[in-house]
Amino acid sequence: MGLLSILKKVKEKEKEVRILILGLDNAGKTTILRRLTGDSIDTIEPTLGFNIKTLEHKGYQLNIWDVGGQKTIRAYWRNYFERTDGLIWVVDSADRARLQICREELNNLLGQEKLAGASLLIFANKQDVRGALGADEIAVVLGLDDTDLFKNRHVSIRGCSAVSGGGLAEGVDWMVDDISNRIFMLN
Amino acid sequence: MEHASKRMSIGPKDVLQLKRPTNGFLCSQSEDRHGIEFLRFSITDESNKRVFFAIDNESRLNDQMELDTESYSNDDCYRSIKYTFCADILHLPVVATHLTFKVGDQAINSFRMIERHYFQNKLIKNYDFSFGFCIPGSVNTWESIYDVPPLSENLIQQMIAHPYQIVSDTFYFVGDELIIHNKSKYRYDPQDVGLVVAEIGARRKQRRGSVIPQVELNFQKLRELSIMERGMSTDQISEDL
Repeated sequence: MGLLSILKKVKEKEKEVRILILGLDNAGKTTILRRLTGDSIDTIEPTLGFNIKTLEHKGYQLNIWDVGGQKTIRAYWRNYFERTDGLIWVVDSADRARLQICREELNNLLGQEKLAGASLLIFANKQDVRGALGADEIAVVLGLDDTDLFKNRHVSIRGCSAVSGGGLAEGVDWMVDDISNRIFMLN
Repeated sequence: MEHASKRMSIGPKDVLQLKRPTNGFLCSQSEDRHGIEFLRFSITDESNKRVFFAIDNESRLNDQMELDTESYSNDDCYRSIKYTFCADILHLPVVATHLTFKVGDQAINSFRMIERHYFQNKLIKNYDFSFGFCIPGSVNTWESIYDVPPLSENLIQQMIAHPYQIVSDTFYFVGDELIIHNKSKYRYDPQDVGLVVAEIGARRKQRRGSVIPQVELNFQKLRELSIMERGMSTDQISEDL
């Protein structure tokens, strides 16, 4: 009862799910977003702001926010945390040189109070690129075995290729199911 | 004077109560101090990505658009546009609208759009979307994909028979302050409907049998792609699910 049940009612009425896609620049966030609805991925420019996609899926209205990952823009990420139900962290699995920065930025996000309740999906993207690390290797680099950092959080890490589309649907399905189990079915 | 304009200021709550198109505009054209620039807008049939309408800031007006100089003899005609759409658009089961906009060199904390559509002065649709924070100097896109409930053939014929009686007011707010107000009037051109309408009708019939929305079909396609990648058969996966 109490606040939780009120929250539940509000959410049920709207059936709105807010998903935030973040990651370093060139990780493939916009390509993933466009791939989800079969849009062309031929001409994608670096995102200097946000791309929002609103769509209906499994009876929910998904509002998916892809915010640019360039260093100068990262400082603005916090403006998009509010009311986020799910965070998708996209990793360029072939960009070995920046995996450490990638880990640090993700760690920063995990410490953010406003994202504390969000389901976390990590896409080890670019599995189609030669030399890319696999999802389990990315998991080690990002420190997923660090129980303190990922404690009490629903996490799934999956390999994917935004270019071929492989792995995307399963990932997003996991996220939507996890969010709906957590938020809409609570009783 | 300043006091008076403050008292007059229009908020989201005010426009959500409107029951018919406004007479004239609820803010002046100079109200936008945030340098918001609309760069591109398009309407697409989501199921086959056919573009029904597209406008960008370089072409300004295309042959589907006309300034409403009949209603507004002054500069206001630039924010009241008459559109002509192919009547097919009234039959589409899934529509995608795509908007690209740029903001000036100041951050915007809470940006919101409300658009109300009327047919013969009755409210038929209300869109309300909060963009929230906009990064200074950013270029942003918003794509909205939505299922359209089937309109009755009678209503569609009515809409075609009464050009420009579908009217919309689009309001943009920063915080609680109205900064942009645009008007649109629509006319549906019944030419060249034949084939496409038949095709859409067939698609709709197909869809009626299933509850799977169009977007999920795309997900299905993705799933098949990824299955092929892993060298598995679709049967295997459906057992997994």
